[in-house]
Amino acid sequence: MNKIQRCDGVTRRDLLRVGGLAALGLGLGDFFRLQNATAAGSSPQPKAKSCILIWLDGGPSHLETFDPKPEAPREVRGPLETIWTNVDGIRISECLEQTAKVMDKMAIIRSMTSPLGEHNFGTHYLLTGYKPSPALEYPTFGATLAHMREQSGVLPPHIAVPKFDGSVSGNGYLPGTTQPFSVGGNPERRDFKVRDLDFYKGLDLTRLDRRRQIVNAFDDFSRAKDASRSSQSDPNLERAYNLIASPSAKGAFKLSEEPNSVRDRYGRNGGSGIGQSCLLARRLVERGVPFVTVNSAGWDTHQNIIQLKQRYETDKNAHLPSLDRALGALIGDLSDRGMLDETLVVVMGEFGRTPRINSAGGRDHWPNVFSVALAGGGVRGGQVIGGSDALGEYPKENPVTPSDLAATIYTLLGIDPAHELHTSDGRPVRVAPDGARVISELFA
Amino acid sequence: MKTLLKILALVAVLASNSLVADESSRVDFKNDLVPLFTKSGCNAGACHGAAIGRGGFKLSLYGGNPEADFEAIVRMVNGRRVNLSKPDDSLIVLKPGGYLKHGGRMVFDTDSESERLLIDWISQGAGNESRRNLTSVEITPKKHVAKSLGEPVALRAVAHYSDGASRDVTRWTIFKAEDSSAVEVDSESAMSKVLRRGRHIVVARYLNKVVPIEMVVPLTDSKVNLAAESRNNFIDEEVLKSLALLGLPPAPNVDDTTFLRRISLDLTGRLPSASRVVRFLADKTPNKRTVLTDELLSSDEFTEYWTLQLAKLLRIRPQGKDGTAAHVYHTWLSDQVRDDVSYKQLARTMIMANGDTHKNGPANFYRTVTNPREQAEFMSELFMGSRLRCANCHNHPLDRWTQDDYHGLAAIFAKIERGRIVSEKPSGQTIHPRTLEPAIQRIPGEQFLAEDATDGRKQLADWLTDSSNPYFAKAIVNRLWKRMMGRGLVEPVDDFRDTNPATHPALLDQLAEDFEANDYSLRHTLRLIASSTTYARSANATEQNKDDDRFYSHAARRPLEPEVLADAISDALGVAGKYGNEPEGTRAVMLVNPTTPSLALDILGRCGRAESCESSVGAIGGLPQKLHLFNGALLNARIAAEGSRLNQLHSSSKQPMEIVNAFYLAALNRHPSEQEQEHWKGKLAILKSTDDQRAFLEDFVWGLMTCNEFVTNH
Repeated sequence: MNKIQRCDGVTRRDLLRVGGLAALGLGLGDFFRLQNATAAGSSPQPKAKSCILIWLDGGPSHLETFDPKPEAPREVRGPLETIWTNVDGIRISECLEQTAKVMDKMAIIRSMTSPLGEHNFGTHYLLTGYKPSPALEYPTFGATLAHMREQSGVLPPHIAVPKFDGSVSGNGYLPGTTQPFSVGGNPERRDFKVRDLDFYKGLDLTRLDRRRQIVNAFDDFSRAKDASRSSQSDPNLERAYNLIASPSAKGAFKLSEEPNSVRDRYGRNGGSGIGQSCLLARRLVERGVPFVTVNSAGWDTHQNIIQLKQRYETDKNAHLPSLDRALGALIGDLSDRGMLDETLVVVMGEFGRTPRINSAGGRDHWPNVFSVALAGGGVRGGQVIGGSDALGEYPKENPVTPSDLAATIYTLLGIDPAHELHTSDGRPVRVAPDGARVISELFA
Repeated sequence: MKTLLKILALVAVLASNSLVADESSRVDFKNDLVPLFTKSGCNAGACHGAAIGRGGFKLSLYGGNPEADFEAIVRMVNGRRVNLSKPDDSLIVLKPGGYLKHGGRMVFDTDSESERLLIDWISQGAGNESRRNLTSVEITPKKHVAKSLGEPVALRAVAHYSDGASRDVTRWTIFKAEDSSAVEVDSESAMSKVLRRGRHIVVARYLNKVVPIEMVVPLTDSKVNLAAESRNNFIDEEVLKSLALLGLPPAPNVDDTTFLRRISLDLTGRLPSASRVVRFLADKTPNKRTVLTDELLSSDEFTEYWTLQLAKLLRIRPQGKDGTAAHVYHTWLSDQVRDDVSYKQLARTMIMANGDTHKNGPANFYRTVTNPREQAEFMSELFMGSRLRCANCHNHPLDRWTQDDYHGLAAIFAKIERGRIVSEKPSGQTIHPRTLEPAIQRIPGEQFLAEDATDGRKQLADWLTDSSNPYFAKAIVNRLWKRMMGRGLVEPVDDFRDTNPATHPALLDQLAEDFEANDYSLRHTLRLIASSTTYARSANATEQNKDDDRFYSHAARRPLEPEVLADAISDALGVAGKYGNEPEGTRAVMLVNPTTPSLALDILGRCGRAESCESSVGAIGGLPQKLHLFNGALLNARIAAEGSRLNQLHSSSKQPMEIVNAFYLAALNRHPSEQEQEHWKGKLAILKSTDDQRAFLEDFVWGLMTCNEFVTNH
């Protein structure tokens, strides 16, 4: 879906085919596996019940966000200034003023590193913890969580606001029911609502219930003759019914219930709707949804990186200030409500950007080092993990791979990275790859 | 003197001994060291085989270019990688040996065979001369049927060389199971065992040779006796052979109504009409299925539906604002399908096409993608079922395709001027990324064309459509098979390669031969498949064969394609769909423009055809779709609309159970069973008022449009 907003037009299908190279699995195996084979170590008592992933699609510049290089030459430093945060010694981009005020609640990993500098590959790697393979599509965090948590409410366990990144299916080898439910529309709009939740004219719940039962009767007749799985009813029918049948679940999507002051705090414009999307995410986790992805498109800044700050003189709604408002508000709000401890917030994209500004004033793809920010859910705030070198080119210390990050996120959410899931044909696959290291220094 | 002679004799003996030793222990860079680098992973994509190398040291991917590797090791960085005076101190030994800091850590053990080979090679002068070339690698077994899980199977590789020599290279061959949870292969001993029942592939790789090994453990322990199964043609022979091997009992033949629905959907993309169902049931002639098949094959609906299938394959769509060209292309295609023009002729016409794309439909073949490289990829996927894409950047590691093949094919297409008018462009070129020179035109996998060749397209078409071509016929019959059976013999259908063998290789060969022998007629092959017993098996699986998803022991339940489902809903409800500004009565399968505005296709799915449609979504799935079915307009606005089937049945004062029966016929194309009749009768009986019964019937029709039996072909 973000094809236009990304620099290339490579589709998921291409991803699967180009990935053919990996099929042989030749070689040293995972380069990092050898380095990190030192096992998981101590795992903490998990606190996080849910997770909000703020996905900055296209690959956000680490240098313009969480890993600025004020001392570096101008062509590396870029056009933005830096500011101190409320934690001694941590500087971030000048555009992240609100974020700077909650840095004591956040941790930054500045030594993320990956070899995959192509959007779809990077997206798959970051969202699943596995490098893409043509043999198997892996599930994203949200799908795994949806699969492993017992479903409590009728809201889908895995929701994307406003929609999910198009380059991965989301559920991978897990059942389709773990696929993210995209709410669609634009949460910024006054008339925002999720499509098809309200009754069609002349119908009511009794009728829908009867319709559902009629389908079940038809499917029971078919199934009686067939021992294979393929004749089973589509479980989404039941899920759709339950959602429609629950006014309180549907109420979760009503942003209009929020006071104006709260809506303003999150920010009403810019960053492809990131402010109101984060607010909706909060409403959803408040109601027990385990995983919400907020998708913010437009971070593929090959040109004019300055436009992340402002696109015209009085612009207050460029991507960085919009992200800042949303993130600051989300962390503050979760904290005020006493929800931050049990809500893990992760801010990331598929890679970083080239340390040197290019001839178009932008930065190109750079997976060798980039940053990820986390807060809440058992993360000890006010710290920086790892670091990049002086020019922001490579990890200087403590390199963290997307596999390590996945193992860490799963651990925080109370899922053992070594837990085995099963593909539809019974093949066991670990939640996070073998050899992935849990970044335990991140934990509170 | 005597002593001197003795000494001389001794020297001579020693010398000759060392000469002999020299011959056999001489390390051959290309044939001994490159396999070592591959086996150890040095030249993998994640390490020095990456396009930019790693740590300043680049090897060709999987040893595809030994000359360049020799250069990199012996000549680059001023030869520091080899130390001829102190071989043990060479970087190429110290780094992988773990003596010096190495990003990939320790790769060889001290005193390992690998280390010894490297040191010996350097001691012998680190040369590049070789007396022989690898001609083939013989892998044994090529196919193994194990009796039980865990049974050890020794894999072996023998290399054959141009000088007639051969030797065991098992130690340096990589055996990799496609699914490591199904087959385990010990990388040192090459002992393998199957861990899961079924048929699995292990790919053996030595230098640039890749060979698939088929490993089978029957799915059941029971012996199945298939002697009594009917065999209508070679399809049944081959399918039954593999069922016997795998211990899978086949499902019985379907009843007449199921057959009628299945074949109508497959050949015409439509449900059979109620009257046709009744007529077919009443028909007592023994060959009525054959007659039906021929009727469907010669119908206009067949032309309409199979034009859609080919239009998806050819990715026919408007280019920007130019909708005219797509219409001309579509009309041409429809004529070819109607007239059963040979597929060979169709391919040749497209490849050779020139002229105004508003007048000459097939010329649009050159407007489907934007440049010669994409044309090379598109052409090879379409007509060869092969993916050349990897070979854009490096020789294909799992396949035979080289960068020369890829760019050579692109060079042929570079000599075509694209745009509204397609014409020859003799000066057209494309740059080969390795040589940075214009690529030389080449028939992929075969030979370069003369540098001044201006008939590249013709040579390509001649080669492609020659009966000896190993791809052309197989690629299309495999696609036809998939449309009829739900799964390709080779899957994915555009990924033919030695390392992705067909589930039934002999069947694929025979289908291709038969297709050629019958003038490349699509109708012929479709008829052949439709007349097999295999095609007519029930989709109802038993406990014994329910896990089979590729050996055709039972038919697959296939979600209807979005276009077909949209039309089926319209037909069953008796309310036409609305497609943009297309005239009333337009069916989804007739649309030329795949992005025509349509609620039905938005909800049920569509393929925009800018990319291949092979992996596009089926019609079932997704919470949003179900929410829409419940609360949206697709069904709700139409079920009881003016003029709808339900509305008309009410108007003609039909009784509720007559209406139930009529909808069974219209949507499921059969009569309800007694049990089903009883069920619906019971539901209706408790409703007193006519309004309540009408509301129930609306709900009934809604349920019918949503149930598994309706939305699948089974």
